[in-house]
Amino acid sequence: MTVFLDVLLGGVFHAAILFLVAAGLQLVFGVQKVINLACGSFYALGAYFGITAVGLASAAGFPAWTVLPVLILAGLAIGLVGLPVERILRTVYRRDESYQLLLTFGLLLMFQDVFRFFWGATPRTLDNAYLAYGTAEFMGLRVPTYNLLVIAASIAIAVALGAFLQKTRTGRIIRATAENRDMSEGLGVNSSRVFAAVFTVGCMLGTVGGALVVPASASSLEMAVELVVEAFAVVVIGGLGSMRGALAGALIVGLIRAAAIMVLPEAEILSIYLVVIAVLILRPAGLFGKAMA
Amino acid sequence: MLSISGLKVDIAGSRILSGIDLAVEPGELVCLIGRNGAGKTTTFRSIMGYRKPVAGSIRFAGKELIGRAPHEIAQMGVGFSPEESEVYADLTVAENLELPTWTRRSKMSEKDRVERSLTVFPKLRQYLHRGGAQLSGGERKMVSVARALALDPSLLLLDEPFEGLSPAIIPVISEGIASIRAMGQAVLMAESNVHHLPDYVDRLYVLERGEMIFSGTLAEAYRDKAVMRVIAGEVELEHT
Repeated sequence: MTVFLDVLLGGVFHAAILFLVAAGLQLVFGVQKVINLACGSFYALGAYFGITAVGLASAAGFPAWTVLPVLILAGLAIGLVGLPVERILRTVYRRDESYQLLLTFGLLLMFQDVFRFFWGATPRTLDNAYLAYGTAEFMGLRVPTYNLLVIAASIAIAVALGAFLQKTRTGRIIRATAENRDMSEGLGVNSSRVFAAVFTVGCMLGTVGGALVVPASASSLEMAVELVVEAFAVVVIGGLGSMRGALAGALIVGLIRAAAIMVLPEAEILSIYLVVIAVLILRPAGLFGKAMA
Repeated sequence: MLSISGLKVDIAGSRILSGIDLAVEPGELVCLIGRNGAGKTTTFRSIMGYRKPVAGSIRFAGKELIGRAPHEIAQMGVGFSPEESEVYADLTVAENLELPTWTRRSKMSEKDRVERSLTVFPKLRQYLHRGGAQLSGGERKMVSVARALALDPSLLLLDEPFEGLSPAIIPVISEGIASIRAMGQAVLMAESNVHHLPDYVDRLYVLERGEMIFSGTLAEAYRDKAVMRVIAGEVELEHT
């Protein structure tokens, strides 16, 4: 029972982080029709910058409990890097997908050098912050309170994002532009501005996800590529472009990963991709995806 | 208010419009008529800024439109209802109608603008909360025209508003356009079927293979045999 709960909580924590990054990927794909491989870089950027921000905050005498808000703010702030990156992507919106994949893959590799330049090649950690919130007793199991807070924060962000897209004017303009960019332009929507805003929000979801993960695991040069591999599994399982798909996919991948680590750590990625292959064979559009012609 | 002169447009290396002239004055309902492929949609898409002409000028309210982005042209007051209606499936009818009130300010309140669109097609009131995907072709056309009107435009562009609709719905659309005209709204409308033309059309232009072959009133067009061969010929084909 304890083992089961351990897997469950560990899996849901990882799923909460994965969901944020995958939601950013889905949002950008839904509106811009660009598969952004650089989402992994945003995640890693959030992680590195989060560590720096917490370091600065604690040097400035911020109390230990401010770690979570500092990380969220740091993630949001560094997410603004999405604006200049979107300017680069603009050149390939109307081109073939292969150009988009090549460009975003190039960005992924370039960011890796940026991290090496600013933060060095050795992994960085933020151990002491992890237990700043203590541990909580959950059905006989002691878990870091931080994990529960991150799960709660991720759920809150998911609900807020859904409400924003469904209920606000800007959200409706974004959905209209996602469905038919030309018609929206013809009705007075500046779609370039919509694209820049959406991409930046998508980027922020990734950077916040990365910032939130650092108390629990180290930031390293490999984390960007590792996350792209998982985020793609999430998107394929859930269905490209679907937010509900991102949620379901993140939970499935998070739980499988947690179970694999417990039972057979070598098979962590293998087990995830077995599910991906099964989904591709049985339901090519993903669990919540619309079938593509 | 709209004046096009010497407009030339190429698509993929072929000349689609070879130097056309056209004008719409305030309050006028002008019809651009021609067979499929004559260049009507290209004319509309050039006015809206989707197509970059190779030569000529499109002036609207004293300003050149060529070189401007579609959203700027819409914000200047050109309302556009495309041939395929292009109603958003993901938004409700009400949201479709409200959208242009968020992108362009006008003297009328947002609520009045939507309300005015609904008086043109009162039937839409029943569907306000229905999704755009759950509408028939005729209903989508009503939403598309009403949505363009909700922009509170100075000029309304309607690309083949009767195309592909069932005969039962055509009078409803026609009445709607009549009431839009009664508001004093300037309208430029494309049509391929001369028998769909409402009798309240002020002037018409006939486009044939990218060239303007006639400009005048409906009565003058009916007297011109060459024009009638072009614009009525297709009608017979359609009925066979």
